[in-house]
Parts: sequence; C-alpha cells; structure tokens
Amino acid sequence: MNIISSRDRVGIIGIGQSEFRARRDDASYPDLVREAVVLAMADAKLDFDAIEGVVYSLSPDAMVGIGNAERLGVDAVGGRSKRFLRINTGGATGISSVTAAYYHIASGACDVVLTAGADKVGECGDSQTVLNKIWDPTYERQLPLGTINMLAMSAVRYMKMYGMTEEDMARVTVKNRKQAALNPRAHLRKIVSIDDVMSSRIISWPLKLLDCCPQSSGGAAMVLASEQYIHDNKLDAVWITGLATVAETYWMGDRMGADPTAEHADAHALARSFQRSYKMAGITDPAKQVHVAELYAPFSNTEYHSIDAAALCKKGESIAMMRNGEFELGGRIPVNTSGGTLCTNAIAVTAMARVAETALQVWGRAGAHQVNGAKLGIASGNGGDHQIFGTMVLEA
Amino acid sequence: MPYKVQPGVVGTAIRPAIAGNARSLEEIIYETGQAALADAGLTIDDIDGIVVGANDQFDGRAISVMMASGPTGGVDRDILSTPSAGEHAFTMGALRVASGHYRTQLVMAWSPTEASSLSEAQRLGADPYYHRALPLDELSAHALQAGAIEAKVPGARQAALAVAAKNRAHAAIACPGSAHPAGIARWPLSAEMTSAPVSGCVALILANANFIAERGLKNTAWVRGMGWATEASFLGDRALADAPALRAAAEQAYAEAAITAPAAQFDVVEITDATPYAELLAYDALSLCAPQDWSTHLSDGSFARGGRMPVNLSGGVLANNPVFCTGLIRIAEIANQVRGKAGAHQHPDARLGLAHAGSGFAMQYQAAIVLGAEQGARA
Repeated sequence: MNIISSRDRVGIIGIGQSEFRARRDDASYPDLVREAVVLAMADAKLDFDAIEGVVYSLSPDAMVGIGNAERLGVDAVGGRSKRFLRINTGGATGISSVTAAYYHIASGACDVVLTAGADKVGECGDSQTVLNKIWDPTYERQLPLGTINMLAMSAVRYMKMYGMTEEDMARVTVKNRKQAALNPRAHLRKIVSIDDVMSSRIISWPLKLLDCCPQSSGGAAMVLASEQYIHDNKLDAVWITGLATVAETYWMGDRMGADPTAEHADAHALARSFQRSYKMAGITDPAKQVHVAELYAPFSNTEYHSIDAAALCKKGESIAMMRNGEFELGGRIPVNTSGGTLCTNAIAVTAMARVAETALQVWGRAGAHQVNGAKLGIASGNGGDHQIFGTMVLEA
Repeated sequence: MPYKVQPGVVGTAIRPAIAGNARSLEEIIYETGQAALADAGLTIDDIDGIVVGANDQFDGRAISVMMASGPTGGVDRDILSTPSAGEHAFTMGALRVASGHYRTQLVMAWSPTEASSLSEAQRLGADPYYHRALPLDELSAHALQAGAIEAKVPGARQAALAVAAKNRAHAAIACPGSAHPAGIARWPLSAEMTSAPVSGCVALILANANFIAERGLKNTAWVRGMGWATEASFLGDRALADAPALRAAAEQAYAEAAITAPAAQFDVVEITDATPYAELLAYDALSLCAPQDWSTHLSDGSFARGGRMPVNLSGGVLANNPVFCTGLIRIAEIANQVRGKAGAHQHPDARLGLAHAGSGFAMQYQAAIVLGAEQGARA
C-alpha cells in the first residue's frame, strides 16, 4: 500500500446511530435503517441529492429472516438509481462497509457516499442457531459450534498462556458497563460489580452471562466525503488516515493444537490489520500515539487480545494494565468508552458503531464519555469465526 | 475518467457449466481462481486483495465469504464480500485498484445448484408480508417484467423470440456440444426463452497500469467506465417495462468512458439475458436500440455474429446460467473479447466492449462496464 497524500484524504462528515434495545417493535427493519440514515444526513447537513453512492451494511441475512435483505432497504437509504452495493464480512461488516465507502471516494469515483444498515438480532429468535450455520456443514457445524463457545475456547487458551483469571474477565465488563452508563445510545447501561459478573450463570465456561454481549436491535449510518468536497463546501470532518482488512484461517481446528497456523488465544490477523493501518497512517508507536480505542470485543475476554493486537501493550500485558485502570475513561488509553460491543451488539452495524464512536471522540462530540483531548483514535471489527478483521485510524 | 489510477483486467477464468458433484465448492473456487491467475501469468503472491460475490442463500451457509477465504487465497490477505451481486465484486475490486492503494485484486463469484431449491432460496428474498406468499422467485419476477414489456411494446414477443434464437445460435459456436437445456415456462416466458440453472464460477484479475507495465503483461482490457445502480425494492413501486437504474448506470459509465454515441461506438456487447425480454430492455436503457427498432435490428442481423454490433457472442445466459454469477461472467466475456482471448466466439476486431450485468427480482440491480483495448484518457 502507498501512503496517501493529505489532499487525497477521505473524511467522515455525518454520523447517525439509532436507539439500541433488545427489541425494536416500534420499527420495521427498513424503518431502523431509515432512523439511522435520517440522523446521519441531518448531522452532515446534506440532502439526499448529494449522495452519489450507498454501501449497505448487512451481515447474515438469516438474522433478519430475509434473503438479500439489503434489497428491501433501498428506499430507506435513498438508493434508487444510485450506486448501491452490500458488504458482508460477518461481525466486521460495519467497518468493512465504511472501508468500501472509503474506496468509492479514494478511487475518485464519488465525492459523497452514504453507508448504512441495521440489524434485529434481538428479534431473530436465537442468534446462536443462525451463527452455527457459519461453520462447515460437514466437519464443524455438528460439534455444535457457536460464537460463544468458540470464544470461550479462546479464553481458556488466553488464561493458560497469559494468566488471565475469571475476575480479570469480569473487570472488563465492570469497566464497560460503567462507561455505557454514560452513553445514552448503549443497550446495557446498568452498572455491575465483579461479584455480579462472577455470580451470573455460566453460559460456556469460563464465559458467564455478564461476560457476554446482548442481542441488540438498532441501526447505524455514516456519510463520507472527499477532502476536496469538504473543503469546497466548508464542512466539518474527521479523517480516516489508515485502514486495512486481514483474514485468517476459517478452520477452528487450525488455530488450536500443538502447531496452530494462528493461535486462537490471540487475534493474529487483527494484529496484522492494525500493523497495516498504522503504517498507512504513519503511526510508529501506537501505545504512545493512540488516545482512544473502540475495539470490537463481544465477550469480556476478547478485549484483552484485541488490546494486545492493537499494540497498545505487549502480548498479555493488557491484564495488568486493566487491573491498574489504564484502559478506563480517565486512564492512559481509554478503551470502549461507549461501552463497546459488550454492551450493544446489533451485528450488522456493530463494527460501524466502533468507527462512529471513535470518530465522535476525535471530533470532541462524544458527550459524557468524551476522552479529553482525544485527537487520534482507532477502531476495529471482527467477523466470521474470529476470522475477518477490519481496522481504522481516525484523526481530527 | 475520474479514477486516480486506471484498472485493467489482465486475467480471467470462466468455468464451463459444472455437472455432477465430483468437486466441492471449495475445490471449484480454488481451481477457478488459480486458472485466472495462470491466465494473467501471476501467482497468488502477486494479489493484494480479494473481493468475492458470495450469496449465503445460494451457498447454503451464513457468511459464505468465510469458507471462501481459504480457496481464494484470502488467509493473511485482505478480503471483502459483496453478497448483493457478483458484478458488485468487480466494481468494488476496480475501485480499490483505482485508489492507488492496491496493485492488484482477485475478483470472484460462484453459484452452486446443489445446496437447495434455488426457487425457494430466492423466495426467501421476497418481502415476508406481501410478496413471499405469492410465491415470488426471480423467474416469476422476470415473467412479470416480460408481460409488462409485451403490453407496452407492440411486437415485443417476436423480438424476444428472435433474441433467443440469436443467442442459441451463438451458443452453438461458443460452446459446441453443450446441451444448453431449456428452463421452465412462466407465462409469457416459454421454456425456450429460459435456461436451466447450472453450477458455475468465474474469476478475474485486476491490476493497475504500473503493475501491468512492470510485469510486461499483455492483452489488458482497460476499465474505461463503470456504472451501477439499483431499482426500488418493491415490484409494485417499479414500472417494469422500463429500467431507470440501468439508464443511470449507463449514464455513469458512458460519462466516465466519454461514450457519446453508444449505438455506434461499441464493437461487441454482452447483456445479462436472464430472459430475452431483459436483453430487449437493456438495448433501450443502454441506448443501443430504441423499442421501435428492436424487430428491425434483430431481423437485419445487427446484433448477430458478423453484424454491426454483436450482442452475446458467448450465447449469453441462455447458454450458461449459473444464476448468481451470470453478471460477472458478462464482464469476463467482454474482457476476453477485448483481450482477443474469447476463443471460438472471438470477434475479429473487438477494441471497445460493453458488459451489462443485471440481477435480482426483474433485474433490480443493474451495472454497465466499458472495457477497451486502449488505455484511454486518464485523470
């Protein structure tokens, strides 16, 4: 990849996030998309005529029960007779969609692009039944695998390799719930204690109920524009200065055993993706240069290997730093100040919310969970069976 | 042309209709991707990123791109999926090369038939309250569109029959010995106007001008212009005898490629003839031929082999119908024509070609891609 010159930058000029709840009976699926789009368009202070292309963010169709459900969202995003395509990289879809929108502009094809989507995970019945279908039908689907027990296996390996305890996992939930309480858009905002987490029922050891993200319904949207357009129209923006996507092996069995291709305790491809994003943004020492991070971590344990992969510390050091409060709001590098994926997970747009929250932070518009002086932030998204990772660097 | 770097197609592989179940989908994807790389004279180590058009319903999986990351070469590499359409993988891959951030992209789409009933898989894509119970699948929607065109354009049925006859004649040359089985009838579509779905796979390699020059790659089909757009969601909101999204897509592509007289400028055209009526409607929306002239130009051979502007020398979808990747195949076919690598159905002097890709209910998604042998004007 080449380093982009400053006049070729792509900026974020509008952000919209709907209300996230377990159920949104008040809004149909297209209504939820529209709710976020209206907010983002108002934030960008643009009319739909300005939008030249739309990237639709939707992960498994089965979650909303409609095949190619993006087709039903065309009018919700004002997409008729405009460039329109959908991205799906599982849980990474939201950040992959922002990436796809970025390349509509970075290529020179468009000046203003909307990316939007929504999910109704809370109304899908049982997301784990759907997510079991991501695995190979012959070998791995029958185990039965789900995303919870998949990442419980990662937790067990991380415990063994780096000394993480169940209390350390609970500490992440306590931190994120406390921060979510400051974020009016978060789904789970009730403050909890380590004892609350430890005494919640076991879902898949060592994950307990309060170590797990909720099933959320809601939508998100963002408007991106070229630097020239932003300059010509005197718009306010924050900038995407680094981005990458990297995948690792599909097969769970290849990440465990004596000689794994990518150790399941860690997030190998996430680390690779961050390395590429940092290179593009010219970041050489992320632990010193990053002010705020929104890292996709749907289970408490996965925040540790995500912090490691983002090179905010050496592998495994995140445990001691978490105990010292270094990743809390007010700490050295606040992580998931919005409450993160652990408190809100509408899968199709969860990774877009990571980008949106980082953008709001470096914009200085995050509200009660604002990190003072944040000018450079990072965001990530994880998709598939912890397989496809997207990362971004955003700057004021 | 607005692109910061001009992309070109340097390799393709269109897998012939796949019969039987001797190959897994992973093997089919691997073999097709490798064939495209071999065609370009490259290896997977030369590929900076991958975009696949993978459809969960057709593949019988959730997040089908996951399975594809191995056989495409996506492990430790950048991979995206555009489940909306196979042709969207091409536009996304081309945009990434056009940004200057990537030297190359592998673009793929596939369409298996063994996973389930395609009709049922498509029906799941209909609105659950109003349309799913009709029942609606893509062929039914195509039939509704055919009926609307017949009602609007006198002589449309005869023109549609002529399109089908032309494409079947082309198929006999492009892939002799293949069965090209007829599909099923849905009034007003006769069985001869449709084709039975088959399993298929297609891959293209995109590269930027510097990479092409450094490697000394020959036979490049340069991307001169791209347009893509969508119709409204609900069939009831659409005028099915018109294709405003394709008009918009053509306008984008023609502006980028500086095409001012489409009916006179293209040497060769491929259209996604999900039905012959879809081909007729595309003639109009792509400004190749107005409805009142359909019959004349079909009877005088303008769009036939040896004619002024041959359309679907490959035989089109009537010759090979892997449903989800028929649009991307059209782009690969035009790339082959412009690269002089189309084989038995090669046009003798294809310098500038137009590929139309359409998909979904009554062609909801529309795309127009202009490819040329000359690099063309650069931004």
